Amino acid sequence: MKTLKIEVIGPDPPCVRCQTVRRVAEEAAERLESAGIKVEVEKANILSKEIIGKYGTLVSPAVAIDGVVRIMGRIPNEAEVEELVKAATEERTQD
Amino acid sequence: MSPGFKRKLRTASLLLFILVVVGLLVYSRIMAYSLAPTLEPADFSGLAWYEIPIYYLWDYISHAWICLLFAFTAAGLVYEFMPKDLITRYMGSNKISGYLIAAGLAPLFTVCSCTMVPLFAGILYTGAGIGPAITFLLMAPAANVLTILVTGELLSWEIAAVRIVASLMTALIAGVVVSKTSWGKAVEKEHHVNAAPGQRGAIELAKPPLDERLIAALKFGGYLAKQILPYFIVGLIVVGYVTAYMPESIVEGYLTGVTGVLIASIIGGPLYTPTLVEVAVGRSLLQLGMSRAALLSWLMGQPYDVANMTAVSKITGWRVVVTYALTAWSCSVIFSLVYGILTGSL
Repeated sequence: MKTLKIEVIGPDPPCVRCQTVRRVAEEAAERLESAGIKVEVEKANILSKEIIGKYGTLVSPAVAIDGVVRIMGRIPNEAEVEELVKAATEERTQD
Repeated sequence: MSPGFKRKLRTASLLLFILVVVGLLVYSRIMAYSLAPTLEPADFSGLAWYEIPIYYLWDYISHAWICLLFAFTAAGLVYEFMPKDLITRYMGSNKISGYLIAAGLAPLFTVCSCTMVPLFAGILYTGAGIGPAITFLLMAPAANVLTILVTGELLSWEIAAVRIVASLMTALIAGVVVSKTSWGKAVEKEHHVNAAPGQRGAIELAKPPLDERLIAALKFGGYLAKQILPYFIVGLIVVGYVTAYMPESIVEGYLTGVTGVLIASIIGGPLYTPTLVEVAVGRSLLQLGMSRAALLSWLMGQPYDVANMTAVSKITGWRVVVTYALTAWSCSVIFSLVYGILTGSL
């Protein structure tokens, strides 16, 4: 099974809120790992051309799961990130 | 208790809290309870040096807490519930809508460097270009929910209204001016990211249940308060001493008339002062005899402070920053003079 990617999108150096989101994402990733879903958490710079071209996100912190921005401008909790990742995996298996 | 019921209960209690906050503000209005502090500079003359900050802080906190609580709650709610995905979609569509959204959007954002600089860059990169980006940058600190509420409640609603109109025009003028310069165009060209809307990675925001959104909103309000209040308290202590010891003759001599507008705009511009402190300083100087026109130019100096300019210069280079700062400065002087002449308060 392929690894799922969570991108935490924020400015570099990260602001306090973005750091919190990253921590949340990493904790969610750990829990998912033990549930058998491999997840990779990556920090993405909101000001890089690559991210702007790819998503056009305006508000940070944002979280993209499997290439889709699901959260923008707020801090999610671990359970929410877990659920969103699970939903993304289900979508994949359906494809 | 079932989880569904628990969730409803939580939603209800959060809504109740918001209702109470709104109710408090309305109630204080009806009862004509002053949300602005009530001490006059003369009241401080009998106090010992260590008593001044205590009295000053207490005067502010005892009156302004309702207004501050409401302002932070409102800022959090507005930020959480604005349709961020729609904004992202329409921002880059064309020039005019870019300007309109930038100006209309700004009041929804309560200053937080975390959000401001990426947004500025985002607007610049996603296709709306440098003009709307500058408009947004100048408009957001001048006319967000928190600023307007605090200016209105603690100073006067007339000044708050004039400030919104003057800031809007300043922001639009500065945006257009920068977008016409050759260096502005160069920055725009350099940063433009070509991406057809269809090719973009999808933005499909997850919609969490209402109770979680309300919690997120209040948390953001709390986060803003935590960021801003320490500066406010330190600022108030300083302002307390200024109010107590600044001779009125100096304020009346230098902060009135045309000179007053010029001096206020020069000090108010580069100086980095959080909105709340700026309002407190403005209030204190007004009591000591500063003209209302000078007050307006003092308040309008906010968007081009040094911290802001440094952050932006990293993206656009200094020429753009100098251009918009000078434009904004001239506008603040002109608008303040016009306001002073029209209302006879120069």
